[in-house]
Amino acid sequence: MIGGLLVITGAALALEATTFDVAFMTDPVGPKALPLLVAAMFVAGGTVALVRPRSDVTLPSTEVLARMGCAVVAFLVYAAALPWLGFFLSTTLVVTALSVLYRGPLLHSSAAAALLAGGLWLLFVRLLSLPLPIGELWIR
Amino acid sequence: MDSLRHLVDGFGIALQPLNVLLALAGVGIGTFVGMLPGIGPINAIAILIPVTFAIGVPPESALILLVGIYYGSQYGNSISTILLNVPGTASAVVTAIDGHAMTRAGRAGPALAASAIASFVGGTFSIFGLVLFAPVLAEWAIRFGPAEYFALMVFAFSALSSFASGSVVRALASTGFGLWLATVGLDPNSAIPRYTFGRIELLDGMDFVVVTIGLFAVSEVLQLLEDTGAGRSATALTGKVMISAKELASTGWTMVRGGVIGFIVGVLPGAGGTIASFLAYSTEERVAGASGRFGEGDIRGVAAPEAANNASVNGALIPLLTLGVPGSGTTAVLLGALLGLGITPGPLLLEEQPDLFWGLAASMYVGNAFLLLLNLPLVGFFVRALTIPRWILIPGVAALAFVAVYAVAGSSFDLVLMTLFGVVGYVMRKFSFPLAPVVLGLVLGPLMEKNLRRAMALSGGDWGVLFDSPIAITLWLLAIASLAAPLALAKLSPRHDAELPTTREET
Repeated sequence: MIGGLLVITGAALALEATTFDVAFMTDPVGPKALPLLVAAMFVAGGTVALVRPRSDVTLPSTEVLARMGCAVVAFLVYAAALPWLGFFLSTTLVVTALSVLYRGPLLHSSAAAALLAGGLWLLFVRLLSLPLPIGELWIR
Repeated sequence: MDSLRHLVDGFGIALQPLNVLLALAGVGIGTFVGMLPGIGPINAIAILIPVTFAIGVPPESALILLVGIYYGSQYGNSISTILLNVPGTASAVVTAIDGHAMTRAGRAGPALAASAIASFVGGTFSIFGLVLFAPVLAEWAIRFGPAEYFALMVFAFSALSSFASGSVVRALASTGFGLWLATVGLDPNSAIPRYTFGRIELLDGMDFVVVTIGLFAVSEVLQLLEDTGAGRSATALTGKVMISAKELASTGWTMVRGGVIGFIVGVLPGAGGTIASFLAYSTEERVAGASGRFGEGDIRGVAAPEAANNASVNGALIPLLTLGVPGSGTTAVLLGALLGLGITPGPLLLEEQPDLFWGLAASMYVGNAFLLLLNLPLVGFFVRALTIPRWILIPGVAALAFVAVYAVAGSSFDLVLMTLFGVVGYVMRKFSFPLAPVVLGLVLGPLMEKNLRRAMALSGGDWGVLFDSPIAITLWLLAIASLAAPLALAKLSPRHDAELPTTREET
């Protein structure tokens, strides 16, 4: 399955690469050469994976997959919430969520998360003066 | 001797209070982070890159910090290997054999001490090699033109692919993925956008910090969810971290041999710590003959791979600094960091920025001494740190990764991208596609394309120019040989790749 995916991706990359036309060539090779090479590598890798598939791949149980899905969703929610909710609150929330996914007790997890978020804020904003978002919600 | 005089100047830089402090901080942080299961050197460096950019120190100081983290994390890795039998990287697998056997026999203290001392000996030996050989190689490499550089990079890719665990073709597909990521963004020559999917954020290309943290750190967070166990608890450390003089003396030559092997293997692209430690271990096994108790807790079985591993780290810095071509995932990340700091490694580095090179070399002596001084008394503390429950540790690492990614780009888009790469990295691990070649491809891709196009522009479109000089031809032959070697070996010998314990591939 992964092999087929690779072959298709490789073909798509090559197709896209043929559209890299420039009006006048600044150099004899142009912007197409490397993408076409890459596409060939994808197709080659995919073909081998198709011909000789790995037999020892074990997929995790549905329960683990569900927890992984939750973790990915938590990451994406974090990305969306960060500019809006601010660094401290969104980090506390996402770290709590992850801790619970790793089977931490809820109360301890959220306490540890808040401490961590506060510590990181102090380290980055105060000590290193790297800006982290405060949150639009609180500015308005 | 010219190098010696330069090195003395280098010590003048390395012993500045700021740089001493940074070397200490680097090895301290490196040891701590490298010890935590599942993080390892490549994550440690990637996560800390934005911090080094932000503290606003001069480039040579930032480099001292980063390299300190690099070799510190190699040593930290052996602490968890010896105590918990969880080698965080493939290069520590051999140490686990006798190191953990010694722990089970209640001799964890001597094992840790031997590992610290061997790391020190291997490290200092190989810094000597670095000082000796880097200028020679740089002088030779000045004659490299674009065609030779292109061939050299092809060799770096094929060497890493052939040494990667598993199939060469899969590793090449990983390299292809990295090269593809490198093409995303505006083409530097013709300024047309490539593979940007119409997103403005992608016009600048993929940031390697985002890709590296996604592929390694985020996928690790996902992977560890599979491991439903509550995590192994550290074996209580019994007795003091002491080693008898007699025992130490018995490992003297072992350390020296390990250091030399590690250094030589480290210089070669692609090979790195894994091959170095395996080679050193099997050499010692043969040298010891019947007197050895290898596999049952022989102290030489700890000293040899540890010396070799640390020596290979320094060896790997030679191609990175003098050619500007890294041979492994971790050194590729270092190259990305150097470029970000405005340092362009290559044959001219030694001439144009001698302070940087010699200051770094001298600071590595300082750092290695710190490593020894810190670790003998602090092992007890590190052992306690290993008992931090996983539900605090891993989310904490994730939070650090978020901050690091946000700090480089300052946009939520990169956080989404990072998550995407985390999923991709997880799937790649599942289907045994190695991750290190992706980073190498991403960092080297632009350089490779630039040199290819420059070579072709100079020749007027004649592809023959790539195979025109003796150096280029040699490099092409080496590249082909390194790809063909594993295939030939697989044909000749019966399959025995199952005997290696499964670890996270990380070079």
